[in-house]
Amino acid sequence: MLITADSIPVTRAAIIQEILDSPLKINLMELGFLPGKTITLHHSAPMGGPMAFKLDETILALRKTEASLIEVQLL
Amino acid sequence: MPESTIPSQVKSPKIAIIGNPNVGKSTIFNQLTGLNQKIGNYPGVTVDKRTGSMEYHGSNYEIIDLPGTYSLYPNSEDEIIAHRVLNQLSEDEKPDFVLMVIDSCQLSRGLFLATQLIDLGLNLALVLNMADIATRKNIAIKTFEIFKALGVPILSTDARGEKGLDQIRELIHQQNFSKKSSFITIEEVVSGTLLNEVKEKFEFTNSYQAYQMLRFGEKDKSISLESRSWIKAKLEENKFDLEKAQLEETKIRYRIITSIVEKAVVKTPDVKKESGIDKILLHPVFGYLIFGGILLIIFQAIFAWASVPMDLIDGFFAELAGSVSDLLPSGPLSSLITEGIIPGIGGVVIFIPQIAMLFGFLAILEDTGYMSRVVFLMDRWMRPFGLHGKSIVPLVSGVACAIPGVMAARNIGNWKEKIITIMVTPLMSCSARLPVYVILIGLVVPNELVLGFVNLQALALLSLYLLGVIGVLFTALLLKNILKTEEKSFLMVELPTYRAPRWLDVLMTMYNKSKTFVFEAGKVILAISVILWVLASYGPPERMDAIRAESEVKLSQASPEEIPAIENETSSLLLENSFIGIMGRAIEPVIRPLGYDWKIGIALIASFAAREVFVSTIATIYSIGADTEDELTIRQKLNQQINPTTGDKVYNKATAFSLMVFYAFAMQCMSTVAVVYRETKGWKWPLIQTAYMTVLAYFSALLVYQILS
Repeated sequence: MLITADSIPVTRAAIIQEILDSPLKINLMELGFLPGKTITLHHSAPMGGPMAFKLDETILALRKTEASLIEVQLL
Repeated sequence: MPESTIPSQVKSPKIAIIGNPNVGKSTIFNQLTGLNQKIGNYPGVTVDKRTGSMEYHGSNYEIIDLPGTYSLYPNSEDEIIAHRVLNQLSEDEKPDFVLMVIDSCQLSRGLFLATQLIDLGLNLALVLNMADIATRKNIAIKTFEIFKALGVPILSTDARGEKGLDQIRELIHQQNFSKKSSFITIEEVVSGTLLNEVKEKFEFTNSYQAYQMLRFGEKDKSISLESRSWIKAKLEENKFDLEKAQLEETKIRYRIITSIVEKAVVKTPDVKKESGIDKILLHPVFGYLIFGGILLIIFQAIFAWASVPMDLIDGFFAELAGSVSDLLPSGPLSSLITEGIIPGIGGVVIFIPQIAMLFGFLAILEDTGYMSRVVFLMDRWMRPFGLHGKSIVPLVSGVACAIPGVMAARNIGNWKEKIITIMVTPLMSCSARLPVYVILIGLVVPNELVLGFVNLQALALLSLYLLGVIGVLFTALLLKNILKTEEKSFLMVELPTYRAPRWLDVLMTMYNKSKTFVFEAGKVILAISVILWVLASYGPPERMDAIRAESEVKLSQASPEEIPAIENETSSLLLENSFIGIMGRAIEPVIRPLGYDWKIGIALIASFAAREVFVSTIATIYSIGADTEDELTIRQKLNQQINPTTGDKVYNKATAFSLMVFYAFAMQCMSTVAVVYRETKGWKWPLIQTAYMTVLAYFSALLVYQILS
C-alpha cells in the first residue's frame, strides 16, 4: 500500500517510491531522499511537530508537510 | 627548488575547502591554518568569508573555507557563495584547487557534490573524513573503487583525532589535485547547441559551467543585467524547462553514484545505540525540561562568569581615561578622547565576554549535535508565529544579549523568518536591562513574601521577562501578517551523531565572532558614542561658562569636605544645560503623559547608546556623582525626588512601572542597531525596528502609567 512518509508509524521502515512534484523536490533529493532508499521513522516531535527519519547512516528532520511529499511503501 | 629563490613573487596557490554541512570541514580548515585566519565579507551577502594561510615546507598556501552545501544548486545565501566561487564567477575568488571533504558515513550524498565539482572541471581532491565513526559503525570503504570511478585523488582522515592531517598538508604541497573531463554528460539533459551558445557568450570552455549559468544565471544579481536578459530570452526561445532538467540531472547523477557506492562500501549491520540518547533528549516532556535546564545552566554561567571580565574591562577603560587625561593638557581634545572615544571603545569591548561566552556555548551545543535537536523540538512552537525552529537560538541568546542573538539569526535560510527573528530578538529582556529593573523594582516594590514563599520583587522581575516574551510573540505575529515572501518555508535539518565538542573549533568561533562584532559593529557604536558625548558635554557657551564660573567661585570659598558636593552639583547643572539637557526639556511635553519629567527625559536620550547608561545618567542628574556604584544611594536619592508642582514623589509606583515597561520595549542599544545594520545589509530594517520599538515602548508605558496613576 502506498502512503506518504508523514504517516509512517514510529520505528517502522519503508521504501521510497517517489518524490512528489513540488519546489522542494530537488532539496529532498539532494539530501538523499531517492526512490529505492529505505527510511525509518526515528522520532516524531510532539503535537504534529517535525519528524526525524533515518536514511542510510544519518537522521534527517523534516516537517510533516515535507514528509508528505515522499511516497513510500511500508516494509 | 627554483621557486623558492623568488618566494615573494610567486602567488601562493588558492585552495578552496568545500563539503556538506557537518562533515568536519571547518575542523580541517582550523587545523591547517591555525590562527592565521581572516574573516571578511562576500559582497552583498552576510556570509562570512573565512580565509587563512598555511605554511608547509617553506611554501605558502591560501586556504578558503567555503560554506557547507549539499549541491551546487544555490538555495541559501551560503550556497550562493559556494556556487559563485566554484563556478568561478567572481574573479578574485577563483581557487586554483578544490579540496572536498566527505563524511565517510554519507558517501553518496558527498559524492553528489563531488561529481558536480568534477563536471565543473575543477582541480579536485577528496578527503573521506570521520573515518573513525565509519569504523565504529562497521562501515568499510574501498577507496580504490572510488578512485577508479572518479579518477581524483582520495585521502582518508579523522580530523577530530588529527589523523591524516599531515597527508592533507602533503597533498596540498604536492599539488596532488586532478581534473577529469566529466562525470555525467550534461548534454543528456540540455541541448548541446544551447550550451554552446552559452559557452560562446560567456567565454566558458566547460559545458557544465554553461548549464549552471543557464540554470541560475537569470537570478544571480552579480551578473550584468544584459546577460541576465540574454539568458532569459534564450530559455524562452528554447522552451527549456529548468526544473525538469535539474531533476533529470539529479537522477542520472545519483544512479551512477549508487552503483559506485555499492561496489565501494561494505557494511556490516550493527546494533545502534544512538536512538537511546534521543529517546530522552527528544522526549515530549523530558526533552523540553532538559533544554530548559541546559539554558538555565548557560545563563547562570554567563551571568556569573561574564561579570568578572566585564568589571575588569570597565575598570581598565576608566583607568585608561584617567591616565590619558593626566597626560594630555586639559581642553576639548583631552575630553573628546577621555570622555568620548575611550568610553566609546570601552562600550564596544565590554560586550566581548558575553558575546564570546554565548557563542562558545552555542558552538558546544552545535558541535555535540544537540542544537539541531532543539530546532527539531521547537519548530512546532515557533511556526505559528512566523518563526522557524532555528529562531530559538537567537531568541534564547537574546536573554543574555541581543547582539549575538541577531548575529546567530543568519543561519535561518528563509528571508522572512530571518527578518522576523532579527526584528523580535531585541525585545527579549537582555542583561543590560537588569540594572534598570533592579533599581526601579527596589524603589517601588516592597521586599515581601506573598503566599508565604513568593518574593514580590522577584515576581515583578519575572513579569518583566515575560513581558519581553509577550512582546516577541506579538511582534512576530504582526510581522508574519505584514511581510510577504515567495519563498516557501521548510525545515530540512540533519540530526548529527552525538559526539564530544572540538575545543579548537569552539575557541575559533568565540574568537571570530567577537572579532567580527568589534570591527564591524564597533565603528557605528563609536561614532554614536562620540555624537552623544558632544551633545552631553556642550551647550550654549554663555550658559555653560556661567555655570563653570559660578562653580569656580563656590569652590574657592568651600571647605575641603564641601568640594565633592559642589562638583557633583556642577556636573548636574552642566548636564542640564547641555544640548542633551535642552533636548530632554524639549521632549518633556511628549513624555509627561508617561509620568516622566525632563530629568528622566535626559536619561532616556542619553541611554539611547546603551540602556545601562540610564543608571549613571540618573546618578549625574541628581548630583550623586557619576562614579557611584552603590544602588542604595541612587535608590535613596530617587526616593527623595519631589515633583515641585504637585508635591508628590517623582518615582511613584506608576512612574517606575511605566519606566520599566518603557525599557523593556525600547531599543535603547546602539550596538544592536549596528549589528542589525550589518546583518540586514542596510539601514532600512534597523530604522524600522528602532521606530517600532520606540512606539511600542511609548504606548505601553503610557498605558501602564495611566492605569496605575
